[in-house]
Amino acid sequence: MTLLDFASGPGMQWALWIFVFGVLWRLVGALFLLSRKDLTKPRQYNSVAAGLGAIISRSAPAHAFEKRILFQHVTGYVWHFALFISVLFFAPHILFFESVLGFGWPHLPNTIILITAIIATAVLITLLIRRATHPVQRFISNADDYISIFVVLIPLITGILAFAHVGGRYETLLAIHLLSVEVMLIWFPFGKLMHAIMTMPARYQAGTAFGRRGVKA
Amino acid sequence: MRKDQNLGEYLRAQGVSRRGFLKFCSATASLMALPPSAIAQVADALAKARRPSVIWLSFQECTGCTESLTRSHAPTVESLIFDAISLDYHHTLQAAAGHGAEAARMAAMEENSGEYILVVDGSIPVGNPAYSTIAGISNLDMLKETAANAFALVAVGTCAAFGGIPHANPNPTGAVSVSDIVTDKPIINVSGCPPIPVVITGVLAHFLTFGTIPELDALGRPAAFFGQNIHDRCYRRPFYERGQFAETFDDEGARKGWCLYKLGCKGPTTYNTCATLKWNEGTSFPIQSGHGCIGCSEPDFWDKGGFYNPISAGMWGSRDALLGAAAAGAALGVGSALAARARKKKAQAAEEA
Amino acid sequence: MSSLDAIAVNTEVVTGNVEPLLHEVRHALKRLANGEDGTVIDLRSLPLAPGEEEQIEAALGQGEVRAELNALGPSLVQETSYPGVWLVTHRNAEQAVVGRFIEVTDMPELLKSQQADIEYGINRLENELKN
Repeated sequence: MTLLDFASGPGMQWALWIFVFGVLWRLVGALFLLSRKDLTKPRQYNSVAAGLGAIISRSAPAHAFEKRILFQHVTGYVWHFALFISVLFFAPHILFFESVLGFGWPHLPNTIILITAIIATAVLITLLIRRATHPVQRFISNADDYISIFVVLIPLITGILAFAHVGGRYETLLAIHLLSVEVMLIWFPFGKLMHAIMTMPARYQAGTAFGRRGVKA
Repeated sequence: MRKDQNLGEYLRAQGVSRRGFLKFCSATASLMALPPSAIAQVADALAKARRPSVIWLSFQECTGCTESLTRSHAPTVESLIFDAISLDYHHTLQAAAGHGAEAARMAAMEENSGEYILVVDGSIPVGNPAYSTIAGISNLDMLKETAANAFALVAVGTCAAFGGIPHANPNPTGAVSVSDIVTDKPIINVSGCPPIPVVITGVLAHFLTFGTIPELDALGRPAAFFGQNIHDRCYRRPFYERGQFAETFDDEGARKGWCLYKLGCKGPTTYNTCATLKWNEGTSFPIQSGHGCIGCSEPDFWDKGGFYNPISAGMWGSRDALLGAAAAGAALGVGSALAARARKKKAQAAEEA
Repeated sequence: MSSLDAIAVNTEVVTGNVEPLLHEVRHALKRLANGEDGTVIDLRSLPLAPGEEEQIEAALGQGEVRAELNALGPSLVQETSYPGVWLVTHRNAEQAVVGRFIEVTDMPELLKSQQADIEYGINRLENELKN
């Protein structure tokens, strides 16, 4: 069995199993903790509106901090947007998703993907350096932050190398790319990458909880 | 060609002019994928070349490799190369049969000990030697015996080079490649199912010209022919870049000759020279004819998850196990949430008490 | 072949190798003009889409000299419309193309009478005269 055979066969299989298992464990666990009865008398409110409102209001920087966190805010959006395009609209990726999910969707030309992937990589490296050098960011960062950044950064870099056929034979680069994705998938449910799934439900939950108490947020 | 003649003298005796010889050298250099600047060097070496003895053994194979070779598209060049080698044993092509044929092999081995080239097509069954025998001799024994005093071996076709189709899962005969058996001789793997004929003759021409082993890649294949993957040299590559793919074999994209990646083309992971040398007198190659590359020059190409599965798709059968993992994760989530609540209740009860 | 020809083949495919090749020829011509060595390009070593070889031929055009030689099958040596650029096509006795080269030179080597052939010819002529 070659490295590529392992990476796209059993390696990917195990990584996906662990990913799905871990994500559902945490997600379902968190959801089940929610269902406790609140015995207080609620204010007049619409829980859906409050939840969605929080999702929207927290997608923009709070007025008080607008200037101070502008850089973080813009880079954050650019990074996530570029990442989503690169991951979700590259034709070979869609074929992979199709093999897992059973359906696919239209793709974008490779040149656009290459540009978004390079933007994503550059932004992430910038943010990593900032995190490691900025005194406040450094202080609030722990190992989880760095590990989570690295396991996402490596697939990006190996993906670009494999795409450009730079630094080795294509099948080797592809295998390394797949293995790095597998490491990311395995880490995902157990570290801060889980925010990708938890953020929106958490905002919604916070929004409804605030709404119930009549807090505008 | 007489044994004491070199190729230059032989051609001159055949009435071939120096011009004809230079033309032959240009074609041969092109055949060996050498740059045109090497033609003079090729001419020098070829003129002095002497006739090497070649023994060709066929084991677990379909004779497709020999068919490919005998239909190679440049008869003049190839036949000259074949005139220039002494094919002393090839049980499909030779007139002799039975003991006479085996005697010819033994004689060639004895006369040219240490100097002959052993060409092998087909894999070798080691599960049970009786799966494939010639003149009552098992393939394994014949290979070992013939390889012992060879100058070098050429494993022609994916079966000889990597085990090929006989080696495919579940490999009922215990088929292995030449390099699994012979470890103390230089082996050139000319893989492909079948290999491009001019690649086979190109390797023989290299022997004839330089008397050496050509530069090989990590899998023992001549780098001149197997140095680049199909995808990198494919004329449909621009469609891949633009994201224009044929989705089925008869859609608009297929008719327009778009990239076949989505239809399982193995071009990106396959190293061969089909995209440049092409087949059938340079007419076309599979991708140009509208079918993806099946990766036939790579080890275990038969077991890579299906010819029509895209390379980037995962190689597993069902999604059931994934749903199982999801269910198990969800169950654990419910369990741990309940356990957490129970713990909290207990703690609260303890506090109240 | 007639039934195959009846199938419409779409040749919008391009490798983009035609223009770089012509630039390579241009650079080779400049070197030749500066008194440096000629250049030979093996057309078989390039990935070309169906129809692109014809495009190259059309772009180079036909010049003043067109020589055919018969040695191990016919070969066509054609000067293109750019002096110093030659298109050499080798065929075997069965008319199949065995090699195709663009030669950038003032005189393709193959057109010159070869030293070995001249010596052989001298021998032959001397033998003729003796008899």
